[in-house]
Amino acid sequence: MAGAALDSAQDPGLIGATQTGIPLRHPANRRWWIAFAGALSLLGVFGAAIVWLLINGVGIWGNNNAVVWALDIASYDWWIGIASGSLLVSAVLLLLGAEWRGAINRIAETCALLCTLAAGLYPILHLGRPWFFYWNLPYPNTLGLWPQFRSPLVWDAIDIVSFLVVSVSFWYIGLLPDLGALRDRAYEAALATEAEYGRVRKLALLKAQLYGILAAGWRGSASHWQLWVQAYRTVGLLGVLLVVSLQTGASVMLAGSVLPGWHDTILPVTFLVNAVFSGVGVTAALVVMIRAVYGLDALITERHLAILARLLLCLGLASLYGYATELFSSFLHGDSFARATLVRRMTGAHAWAFWTIVACMLVPVQAFWFASARRSGPAIAAIGLLVAIGAYADHFMVLVVTLQQDFLPSSRLAYSISIWGVATFAGSIGLFLTLLLLVLRYLPVVSITETRRLARDHGPAAGAGAGAAEPGDPLAAADVDPRDAPLWGISAEFASEAELAAAAKALHRFQSEHVHLDAHGPVPIPQTLRALRIRDRTIRPFAILGALLGGGAFLAMCIYATAFDYTFLIGGRPRFSWPSFVVPSVSFAMMSGTLAIHLALLVLNRLPRLNHPAFNIPGFSRSTVDRYFLSAEAQGDAFDAERIAETLADLPPQAGRPIAIRRIAR
Amino acid sequence: MAQLFSPGADAIYRLTLLTALACLAGVPMVAAGIVRSDYVTGVGVAPPQPAPFSHKHHSGELGVDCRYCHTTVETQATAGLPPTHTCMTCHSQIWTGSDMLKPVRDSYARNEPLQWVRLNRLPQYVYYNHSVHVTKGIGCSTCHGDVTTMQMTYRANAFEMQFCLDCHRNPEKYVRTPDQVWNMNWTPPPDQATLGPKLVAQNHIRGGERLVECSVCHR
Repeated sequence: MAGAALDSAQDPGLIGATQTGIPLRHPANRRWWIAFAGALSLLGVFGAAIVWLLINGVGIWGNNNAVVWALDIASYDWWIGIASGSLLVSAVLLLLGAEWRGAINRIAETCALLCTLAAGLYPILHLGRPWFFYWNLPYPNTLGLWPQFRSPLVWDAIDIVSFLVVSVSFWYIGLLPDLGALRDRAYEAALATEAEYGRVRKLALLKAQLYGILAAGWRGSASHWQLWVQAYRTVGLLGVLLVVSLQTGASVMLAGSVLPGWHDTILPVTFLVNAVFSGVGVTAALVVMIRAVYGLDALITERHLAILARLLLCLGLASLYGYATELFSSFLHGDSFARATLVRRMTGAHAWAFWTIVACMLVPVQAFWFASARRSGPAIAAIGLLVAIGAYADHFMVLVVTLQQDFLPSSRLAYSISIWGVATFAGSIGLFLTLLLLVLRYLPVVSITETRRLARDHGPAAGAGAGAAEPGDPLAAADVDPRDAPLWGISAEFASEAELAAAAKALHRFQSEHVHLDAHGPVPIPQTLRALRIRDRTIRPFAILGALLGGGAFLAMCIYATAFDYTFLIGGRPRFSWPSFVVPSVSFAMMSGTLAIHLALLVLNRLPRLNHPAFNIPGFSRSTVDRYFLSAEAQGDAFDAERIAETLADLPPQAGRPIAIRRIAR
Repeated sequence: MAQLFSPGADAIYRLTLLTALACLAGVPMVAAGIVRSDYVTGVGVAPPQPAPFSHKHHSGELGVDCRYCHTTVETQATAGLPPTHTCMTCHSQIWTGSDMLKPVRDSYARNEPLQWVRLNRLPQYVYYNHSVHVTKGIGCSTCHGDVTTMQMTYRANAFEMQFCLDCHRNPEKYVRTPDQVWNMNWTPPPDQATLGPKLVAQNHIRGGERLVECSVCHR
């Protein structure tokens, strides 16, 4: 079954070539430029809408005294819902160890990141005077005031900042090894220009260096991989917790008011389910489109599409259950105000929103009961987009239908969608598409690392060494390294991780204060970790400590401000109203945990390190393709290069004898 | 494979990262410092006035009462700026030929007010009433500083919200007996800790709970 998640003809080297080929050679350039021009013009609409907004104020959206939240907050909820859903699906698949996730995780994570950027602009624009957005943050101000931590306005600010940090971090950590691969391919391409032009082209070199800076000196060393696997999973876990806190927090936010229609106890679950539903819908649509445009059928197979379709069907049923329960319980025992709100949703001035939900979100997804629909790319893309449209109608309905019916006859103002509200939303889609196209153009759209891992574990070469190079006498392959240059260490090259691990085990007795052993490979190398005896190293305590300290400090600040330093009677709430501090504190904890992980990943791996002797190893760029390297680094005078080289050369073939052994200059 | 980066690149990269981090913390701190500086708030800066009027001379050395010129301070929201007539009550008799006073005599002759440069300005969304402060025992110098030492008048305090709230949260630290309101070099007497709360109760100043409500100033 797992084999179906990857075209069986793929070899690990070729997999990377498919993904790095897109940013480096860029097929479909014409189609990309046409799409990019379209996205840019939408972005121009966004710019115009913002300028008009700054000149005239939020009234241009048609918001009024009763309907204070309309398209602006509906759009925000929609974007952050899609972001939450995409992040959650990628992180949950990672945590569950779904090995086939490589096909969709990069697209899902990119979608999460870009949706968060689009979402984050809305609450700021919605403020009316956006340039004072920082008044929402607790900073030492000359007003002598604290932000009101009981207010959802502050929760939103903290939530968005945290979500942005976590989604950027999750995306970047996943991308880091791929950036290393991209750097090496770009460097090879730059060096190849010498043959054509007589010298290395500056622009090509600059491109490689840009990728190199982004890769922060990633070498695929055993310890890099070890901490990377932990960091990726831990940030994923923090992301899942943040999504749950954010989406249920949004529902608690609405429930804090007295307005009907926002109080059913199933709403936190419905919000979460609908967010994930829309996120998976958009991710599925993007996956299908990218697969078609770049011809990635070998990496994104029908099995992936079928899984996405099944996931959509499950979420669609869960969403249907949420709506049905809300209707059922309100009509059975809800109060008259709640019942009236539900009736208005179905028959009122904005009844179209309710019926759009039914027609776009709940009904089409039932097509996935049929296997033929689950295998059809166009069907999945269309239904995914319909789900997104339905989710927008849901956010609109939940906000506007409730707000429009105020309890004072004087403030019963009709709301109608204004052209500028629509233009702002269309513009934010332009922002999303522009950034998405840039990511597609310059970064690998399908994770190289994850697909290689899949190929290693289940591909044709699984278990056995790639066997391409039958090792003869490895010492004979030694390059003409000047023996009199200061020695950095000995390096050995292998075709598979099994051989690397065997050699590492054999060399382990040399490990001392004079000899530092390390291994490098294109994928995580768990067997070698065992041989190098660094398997038990962990960065999880940093995450736990960072999250606890950050969350605790934020909670303490809320309590100090609200109960002691800035006591303010608001809505009759007690001075120590801790429940309102939970949502921002949890979000802040997830952010500080993520930052701690990031710092630990860099510091413990001694990164960034752009220039490293390991890069002197001839052919080292293949460590991001299909080769594995073992290095013994000299750290003192007692380093016996000859003995180490002989020990390696004496290992039996297929069980640790390297393809080549080299002395590497410092 | 050769090195893509020279050995020096690491130092530059790390320095850039550290600089970015330092800026992240440093730029807001510098901005906060600038916002609070006298350069922005205008505290201690005496601008040139149409006539070089000295509060030190008139109020400090000669002992002219504040209310001689600022006549409505006890009864109205604004303290009142004196018309040229007020100056001429004395200066039609003394220093009548002084060059320094020529703008005052011109203003009087043309029947046009002197265009004084305003020092203390509150935002238009702040409601402020002089009379209630003065009659409840808040002295001039609490906000305006000791003007009897100012040769040329300058702003003594930046009227940021923090400044107002400091007193609105703890009025008992600043409230005075009626005879002390006009004392320009008042310092809290040794018994302020007992006197303050007594005066607060006596003057019906509802501190903490009432005075910090938004609508007290932002109506």
